[in-house]
Amino acid sequence: MTLLLGVGFAGSSVAAPGDTENGEQIYYKRCLACHGEDGDGLGPAAERLNPPPRDFSSGQYKIMSTAFDEMVPQDDDIFRMIAEGMPGTAMPGWSDILSQQEMWDLVAYIKVFAGYDEEEPGPLVDYGTQVASSPESIARGDELFHESDRCSECHGESGKGDAIKGLKDDNGERTWPRNLTKPWTFRGSNSPKDIYARVSAGIPGTQMPSFADPDSTKVLTIEDRWHVANYVESLAAGTERVNPDNTVIKAGRAEGGIPTSWDDPAWGSAPASTFMLVPQIIAKQRHFTPSNDTVTVRAVYDDEQIAILVEWDDRTRSIPGDEKAEKISNPDISEDSVAIQLPIEIPEGMEKPYFGMGDASHPVNIWQWKSGTAETSSSVHLMNGQGFEDIEQREADSIQVAATGAYNNGTWRVVFTRPLVTTETDKDIQFQEGVFIPIAFAAWDGSASEAGSQHTMTTWYWLSLQSSSGSRPFFIALLAALLVAGLLYFWVRSARPQ
Amino acid sequence: MKSLPKLLQLVLTIALIYVGFIVVFDYVLGQVIPASLLNMYMFFVVAGALAVFTFTEEGARELAAPLKALVEDPGKKSLRNIVFAAVLVAVAVFAYFRAVPSLEAPVELRTIHPAPPSSAKLYGKRYDLLTLENPYRHFEKEDPEQFNELVAEGSAIYIRNCQYCHGDKLDGKGPYAQGLNPVPLNFQDVGTIAQLQESYLFWRIATGGPGLPKEAAPWNSSMPIWQNFLSEEEIWKVILFLYDYTGQRPRSWEE
Ligand code: HEC
Ligand code: HEC
Repeated sequence: MTLLLGVGFAGSSVAAPGDTENGEQIYYKRCLACHGEDGDGLGPAAERLNPPPRDFSSGQYKIMSTAFDEMVPQDDDIFRMIAEGMPGTAMPGWSDILSQQEMWDLVAYIKVFAGYDEEEPGPLVDYGTQVASSPESIARGDELFHESDRCSECHGESGKGDAIKGLKDDNGERTWPRNLTKPWTFRGSNSPKDIYARVSAGIPGTQMPSFADPDSTKVLTIEDRWHVANYVESLAAGTERVNPDNTVIKAGRAEGGIPTSWDDPAWGSAPASTFMLVPQIIAKQRHFTPSNDTVTVRAVYDDEQIAILVEWDDRTRSIPGDEKAEKISNPDISEDSVAIQLPIEIPEGMEKPYFGMGDASHPVNIWQWKSGTAETSSSVHLMNGQGFEDIEQREADSIQVAATGAYNNGTWRVVFTRPLVTTETDKDIQFQEGVFIPIAFAAWDGSASEAGSQHTMTTWYWLSLQSSSGSRPFFIALLAALLVAGLLYFWVRSARPQ
Repeated sequence: MKSLPKLLQLVLTIALIYVGFIVVFDYVLGQVIPASLLNMYMFFVVAGALAVFTFTEEGARELAAPLKALVEDPGKKSLRNIVFAAVLVAVAVFAYFRAVPSLEAPVELRTIHPAPPSSAKLYGKRYDLLTLENPYRHFEKEDPEQFNELVAEGSAIYIRNCQYCHGDKLDGKGPYAQGLNPVPLNFQDVGTIAQLQESYLFWRIATGGPGLPKEAAPWNSSMPIWQNFLSEEEIWKVILFLYDYTGQRPRSWEE
C-alpha cells in the first residue's frame, strides 16, 4: 500500500487507491463550504468568489494534462490541484494539513460527482521532445505568439492580458485572460512544461483554446508549442515583484528639477518598491472580486517639489462613453483611477492615522487621479479624510497637487507632483527630509466594476526623502577617530614611567 | 573559569548573553529581535556585568590589570600599537554608519492580545465581558445535532466573510493575508483562540481593528468592525465554528 502510494505521488500513471468513504468525510469538513454538498460549486461563498469554486458535477477540470478533445483528467492532475492549490483563486493547497492518503481519498470521492470513478482518464498530452529554452527559441515563440494575433488577441501585445475582447466562461461568468508577466497568478505554474500542457489542452470551460486542435486555424506543431512556452516563461523576467522586506519608498534628490512625466529618464535611477493591493472588504460597499494585485512606486524630490510615479497593470483602459471600451467592460463602466494617502501630520511615535482614510483625531490627505471619459480629460482631486464617512472635498489646484497619466500595453503610469510645503500647514502634509512618512495607495479598474468604495488598496508603507548626506558621515568618522586617537595618546603619555 | 583572565571573562559573559538573546528571540520565539530593543537590553547587561566584576576593589584591579600592562609595559609596544589602531578603525566605522541616514523602516511593536475591558458597549448595549457566555455553547452537550447545525451555519458565515484574510484552513494565510500588516491571526496556532475566552472573541470580532486599545496599534489593523456586518447570533455561531474546525477549546473561568 505505502509502496503504491509512493509510486502514485512520483507522478506515475498508477493512481494510488483512494477510499471514497473517507474522502467524503474529509470533503464534508474541508471542501463543502465552497464546492457545495452536491459538488456543484454552489457553496455559500460562491457569489463572492471569482473564479467561483469548481462544479465537480460538470466534469470539467481546468488544469489537466489530458489531450485536448478528452474530458477526463489524470488522477495526478486532480491530486496536484488539491495538494498545491490554484494561485490567484480562493482554492488553497492542502498538503500542509492533509496527508497524502487523505488527498488521494478526496481525489477518489470528487471523481464520483461526474461519474469519473467509472471511466479511464483520457490519453496524455503528447509532449514530443522538449525544446530547451534559448534566445532563438524565445524569439521564435515571440513571433508565433503575435502571428495573426494568435495569443495577443486575448493576452495582449506584451502578454499583460490587455485584451481586445470581452471574455466569458462556459457558465457566462466574466473571465479575464491571464496577465502572463505575473507568474504567481498562474493556476498551474509558469514552467515551460506546464505552459506547454495548457497551450496543448487549453483550459476547459474558459476561452483559453487548445492549440493542438487540428481544426483550429491557429494550430501549432509540437515544436512550435515548446517555443511559445519558452517565450511565455521569459515574460516574467522584467516583472517587479513584491519584496516583503522592501517597505520603504526611497525618494532621492533630483538633479536639475523633478521629472513631471512618466517617461522622463530620471525615473531610471529611482529605486522601485512594489506593494500588494488587496480588495476593500472593511467598509460598506465591500469589494470581493479585485482586478489588480500589485502597485509599483518610485519617488524623487528637489528643493521645491516631490514627484511620485505610480504604476500598475490594468487589462483595460476604461473610457466611459467610448464604444470600444464599453464593449470589453463589465456593465456600468467607470474611469480608471489611482490614489495616494498621506497623514497630514507626520507621526513622531508609533501612532498613525487609521489606514482606511484616517480617523477623527488623525486626518489624512488623499490625492486622486481619474483617467477621464470620452468627453472629459483626466482630473486630479484632493480630499481630506477623517474616516470612511467623513471626507472633505478640496480644490487640488489650491495647493498645486498635479498628476498626469499614460496607458501603454496594459500598464497605467501616473506621476503626481506637489510642492514640499504649502501655506495651509494644518490641512496639508509638509514634507520633510530624513523622516519616515506613512503612505498608502488605492486603485480602481473601471471596467471590472470598481468605483467608489469598491476598489483595491494597500496598508500603510513608508516614504522617506533621503537627504543626500554628501561627505558628512565621512567627516564625522574622521573626527571621532581623531578624538579617540588624542585620548589614547594622552593615556599612554601619562602612563609612561617618568 | 578561574584560570581565565578577568577581562576575558567579562567580554565572554557579555558576548554569551548577546548571542543568547538572538537565539532565544530569532529561533526559539521565532520573531527577529528589533535592533533598538537589543541595544537597550545590552546596555543594561554591560552595566550590570561591569558592576558585578568591579564589586570589590581587588576585582576592579584585576580587571584593569591587562589594560594597564598593555599601556605601561614598554615590551608590549608593538601589540599596543596594533590594538590602538584596531580601536581607531572600529570607532571610525561605527561613527560613519551612525552618521549615514538609516533606510530601515521604524520597528513597530504591538500587543497582539491586549487585555479586554471588563465591559464593552456592543450593538448599542452594554455587555459585562466577565460573565458573557456563548448562548449556543450548551447545545454541545445537550443537543449535539442542533450543535452541528449551528457549527455548519458558522462555517458558511466564515467562508463568506473571513476566509479572504484568515484563510479557509484558518491558518491566517488567506488570499489577501500578505498584503496586510499586521498579518491575520492564525487560529490553528495553540497560542491564539485556545488562550482566549469566547467573550473575548465576541468583543474583538464585534469591534474589530478600530476597537483595539492603543498598545495594539488599532490604526494598522485591517480587521473589520463586524457589528456593522453581522448580527450577534452570527458572531456567536462563527465562534463555535472557529473552535470546532481547529479542535481547540475556549478558555473558561473554571480552569
Ligand atoms: C475557499 C473556497 C474553497 C475551498 C474551501 C476549497 N476549494 Fe477547491 N476550488 C475553489 C475555487 C474558487 C476553485 C476554482 C479555481 C478556478 O476555476 O480557477 C477550486 C477548484 C478546485 C478543483 C479543480 C481543479 C481544476 O483543475 O479545475 C479541485 C479538484 C478542487 N478545487 C478540490 C478541492 C478540495 C478537495 C477541497 C477540500 C479539501 C477544496 N477544493 C476546497 C475554492 C475552494
Ligand atoms: C480566446 C482567448 C485566448 C487566446 C487566443 C489565448 N488565451 Fe491563454 N488564456 C485565456 C484565458 C481566458 C485564460 C484564463 C483562464 C482562466 O480563467 O483560468 C488564459 C490563460 C492562459 C495561461 C495561464 C495558465 C495557468 O496556469 O494559469 C497561459 C499560460 C496562457 N493562457 C497562454 C496562452 C498562449 C501561449 C496562447 C497562444 C498560443 C494563448 N494563451 C491564447 C484566453 C486566451
